Amino acid sequence: MVAVLLCAIVVPVVTGALLITGDRFSPAVGALTSWVVAVLGSVVTAACVVLAVWRRPELDHEWVPAIGMRLHLAVDGISAPLLLLTAALGVLVVLHARVEPPTRTGHGTYLGCLLLVTGGAIATFLARDAILFFLAFEIVLVPMWLLIKGFGDPKHRASASAKFVLYTVLGSTLMLVGILGTVYLAGTADIDGLVGGAGLSTTQQTVLAAILLIGLGIKVPLWPLHSWLPAAHTAAPTGGSVLLAGVLLKMGTYGIARLVVPVLPAGVERLAPVVGVLAAVGILWGGLVCLVERSLKRLIAWSSVAHMGFVVLGLMSGTRLGLQAALFGNIAHGIVSALLFFVVGGLKQRWGGDDLAVARASLRDTAPRLGFALVVGMAALLGLPGLAGFWGELLAVASVWNPDGSRPVLLFRVLALAAALGTVLAAGYALRVLRVVWAEGSPAEQAAAPGTPEAAQAPRPAPRPVDADGYEWAVVGVLVLGAVALGVLPTVLLDSTEPAVLHLLEVAAR
Amino acid sequence: MNLGIDAPVQPSHLAILLPALGAVVTLVLVRRSSRLAATIAMGASFLGLFGACALLAQQVEGDVARSPRTIGDLALGGGVTAPLRLLVDDWSVLVCVAVALVAFVVQTFARWYLWTDPRYRQFAATVGLFTAAMQLVVLSGDLVLTLVGWELMGWCSYLLIGHESEREKARRAAYKAFLVTRFADAPLLVGIAALAVGARSTDIPTVLRFWLTEPHASATTLTVAVLGIVCGVLGKSAQIPFQDWLPDAMEGPTPASALIHAATMVAAGTVVLARLLPLVQHADHVRLLLVLLAGGTTVVAALLAFFQQDLKKLLAWSTVSQVGIMLTALGVLPVGSGPDTAITHLIGHAAFKALLFLMFGWATVLVGGTVVPRISGVVRRYPELRRMLAVGFLALAGVPPLVGFVSKDLILDSAAHHAADGDGPALLGLVLLGITTVLTAAYAMRAWLIVHHSTVLERRDDRESFEDSYSVENVGIVELFRDSPQVDEWGREIPVADWVASADHDLEPQPGLLPSTGLLILSFLSVVGGAVVASPLLDLDWQSPDWLLIAAALLLMVAAALLVRVASLGTTYGDASERLPQSWRLLASRGLGVDDAYVGLVVRPVLALARTVASLDARLDRGVEATPGLIRSLGDRTSGVHTRRPTSGLLAVVGGVLVVGVLGVALW
Repeated sequence: MVAVLLCAIVVPVVTGALLITGDRFSPAVGALTSWVVAVLGSVVTAACVVLAVWRRPELDHEWVPAIGMRLHLAVDGISAPLLLLTAALGVLVVLHARVEPPTRTGHGTYLGCLLLVTGGAIATFLARDAILFFLAFEIVLVPMWLLIKGFGDPKHRASASAKFVLYTVLGSTLMLVGILGTVYLAGTADIDGLVGGAGLSTTQQTVLAAILLIGLGIKVPLWPLHSWLPAAHTAAPTGGSVLLAGVLLKMGTYGIARLVVPVLPAGVERLAPVVGVLAAVGILWGGLVCLVERSLKRLIAWSSVAHMGFVVLGLMSGTRLGLQAALFGNIAHGIVSALLFFVVGGLKQRWGGDDLAVARASLRDTAPRLGFALVVGMAALLGLPGLAGFWGELLAVASVWNPDGSRPVLLFRVLALAAALGTVLAAGYALRVLRVVWAEGSPAEQAAAPGTPEAAQAPRPAPRPVDADGYEWAVVGVLVLGAVALGVLPTVLLDSTEPAVLHLLEVAAR
Repeated sequence: MNLGIDAPVQPSHLAILLPALGAVVTLVLVRRSSRLAATIAMGASFLGLFGACALLAQQVEGDVARSPRTIGDLALGGGVTAPLRLLVDDWSVLVCVAVALVAFVVQTFARWYLWTDPRYRQFAATVGLFTAAMQLVVLSGDLVLTLVGWELMGWCSYLLIGHESEREKARRAAYKAFLVTRFADAPLLVGIAALAVGARSTDIPTVLRFWLTEPHASATTLTVAVLGIVCGVLGKSAQIPFQDWLPDAMEGPTPASALIHAATMVAAGTVVLARLLPLVQHADHVRLLLVLLAGGTTVVAALLAFFQQDLKKLLAWSTVSQVGIMLTALGVLPVGSGPDTAITHLIGHAAFKALLFLMFGWATVLVGGTVVPRISGVVRRYPELRRMLAVGFLALAGVPPLVGFVSKDLILDSAAHHAADGDGPALLGLVLLGITTVLTAAYAMRAWLIVHHSTVLERRDDRESFEDSYSVENVGIVELFRDSPQVDEWGREIPVADWVASADHDLEPQPGLLPSTGLLILSFLSVVGGAVVASPLLDLDWQSPDWLLIAAALLLMVAAALLVRVASLGTTYGDASERLPQSWRLLASRGLGVDDAYVGLVVRPVLALARTVASLDARLDRGVEATPGLIRSLGDRTSGVHTRRPTSGLLAVVGGVLVVGVLGVALW
């Protein structure tokens, strides 16, 4: 059973590497062949992940004794949902690549990068060694950079990819400093062994927590360290956007939940008011920008900033409820933002742009399936009950009302109100999008409006059916189902994370 | 007879789940056939009604499952428990049946009314989901479940109001309705969080027990939390200062209005507040605020109703006013009294308001609109509307022995009773309710006179035929011409108006058997529904009414009605408000310009803030983008210092490094 742990990492990485190499041959491996190989690779990976989550094997092997790094891989309630999400999104983005192939040659490279990102993310979530965690974390950045740089929107990709990689590497550097400091002071790199502060003084914990929170805050991203995110999303191809929002951002919050909150409890308790305020500002800031943002894809990216604010807020409450809220919000946002980026990416390609100010035919009438998916996505984005987004937000607000330890109660209650107002802003921008994209521009209005319809002016880069069908509809449909399932039966996820959360915070409090 | 069921699925589950299931099945399985969609939607709605009735039977027999499970406990880490159970008690069962009944009638009516609508399928599904959400709120025994139903209702109302999204007005109305209610929900969310976290449970009975009995429960927190909940209720129930979304919501199709106004959405506020009534009674300042705002709303809305030039909007404002009466009824109750008076009014209002809306929907099909000039005299032209419209208006006005009278009298009675005991809010409530009772009679009378109005021409016809009937031979001629086509002054036949020919081409002017039966049931209930007070499910003191109060109220109502009648004489459309200045009517039909206030006080500042934030962020972004340049220029500058020749110092450093390296390797 231990083999599935290794396979879950090795299969996508090796397949990805093979696919990238395949592109260097001349003649290059055909697009269909690469796609089939990639699908196989991602499906095998997903199978391994499912097995690993089901049987929960553990691998603990000495690796680099000089720095105390071990090859320690395991699955627990906190990482299991994220692993499943990553594996599922890995399959979906590869499937979707058939519908929306990369804009230039190099299918193999594109698919290979998708698989490498998936593999790296899986390794991150499996790692139980702080240094291994860091290594896996870094592996993801390079293929993601390549995805944006090589396959992104030609207008923005150069600056966006540079900003992405520089900004996140800065975060990584800080994270490395923080991790090494913690490991050095605590004398172990084992994440489970670190839980509870490992005898560090409050000052040490505070300094380390600050460094780690800034480093991980860049990845989350936490306001005001978010500048790379909207740019990266605008430029990235659809598959890249999905992985960026659905997987990469989750790695940041996972890092906080795994490496900071339980490991440096005293430090987090001191910093929580500051970080909580930043998170709340992020919620409002992101929501406000969304109200006036004109680019649809950027808007979704901005909403991520707001939603990650909820997750961080829950984490900063220091309560079991808050941790549960954050883990739920993480998964929910992964599903919802993936759904929205699939839909919006498809729309951008069909429209030849994503400016909301351009009048277009209403999705409701022209593309009912995409319209339905957009409605579900937006409803989940504004936190509608019955869909995934609701529970994370509700629980986050509730957890902040009575924060743990010596955190200032009144301040946190104000933050709760701010977060609640953030849901109003979310309703404002989500319905704004629906109003403009979904409802406005019915055939009758189109006929009445002067001028030629936009479809005639803007040549489409690749001919695509007006509405989603085939793989695209399947991919979107799966995510819609996921959002509904998680919304109707939140107990499934909460039950799976609760024991790990209890264990983590119980040990941390001891 | 033992009606108890020992199974995981109880009638309470059925009442909630079946309408929702119908919605899902309709959306997933039905592609184009409206007939199939209608069958599924109506069938699911009927089964939901059946479930509600079964629940009622169980409750009467005492075999009901008090707190059935739903999806199981939420695992929240032990700090707060969320058992997510339902709560079945006397009044919630009655409301549940009322909701199911109205929803069923609305479904049958919508099948007729929206038969030609290409989006009928979505409409029927949304109505189903809406019903399920409301039933969840009614039967919820958990704050989280209440919130779930509450928010879902907001969403369904958004979809229904924006159903005809081809029209910009409908899109705006839907957007406004959702945003206004959502804005009010933000404090509600915080309030619910505060109550639940304080009591360490979301279970409503536990929450009530904690906040009412626990000595160390903070009174300030309770006040803040209840304030938040009242704020949410005021939003959903369209009370001051959130009232303006409801009249705009008339952009939705009439069956949607009937559903939103009668049994769901606006009534949900009453249900939630009734459930949490002990908390409101405990927070005395909030109670006063509730009476002030809700009571004030009843008066203002009744006044506005009187001035409306669109009778559908008149009904909308009357809903605002009537819901205000329910909330005031809750507000006037001091500690220890149950919410039964308000619930009675909720049930009665559900019957007659649904009836009125659906009848106006029917009238719209017949005459093409509900503005005064169009609808004036509709009852004369289509006598089949007469009886049911009359019942609706009489019940609305509160004429004995109709249901409106019974429930309103009980509320006045309780307010007077508590005011006599020296309760401040009760006295305030009594005064405001008294004014509203009179105003309600006035606007109901006005509306009736408009629909009942006969034009000058028709009146002359009547008189002539009446006079002519003295000479027997002319009667036949009048009869003869009744069905002949209309002619203009040159004797040419007037073509049937365009809208009749195009829009309602396929629509039969008569609702089918099912919707007609539904309307009949609703009017029957509007007449005799008052008998519900005698049921053992409601704890009401109805046997010893205050005759003096009743007589005074009736007298004032009659006086108001007579005044309206006199004012309507000689007006073009039988509209008493024509006597009042045009500017007033204009102001009223714009809802006192509150929309402008929303835009000016909230929308513009928020958008301005959003633009500021966006530009600030752009500046932040530029700052980030400038850093590489800064670093490079720093590098360039320092590279200028460099002589580009190895110095002796550097050589020494390199040598030192080498030595240290060699030593390190040698000593390992």
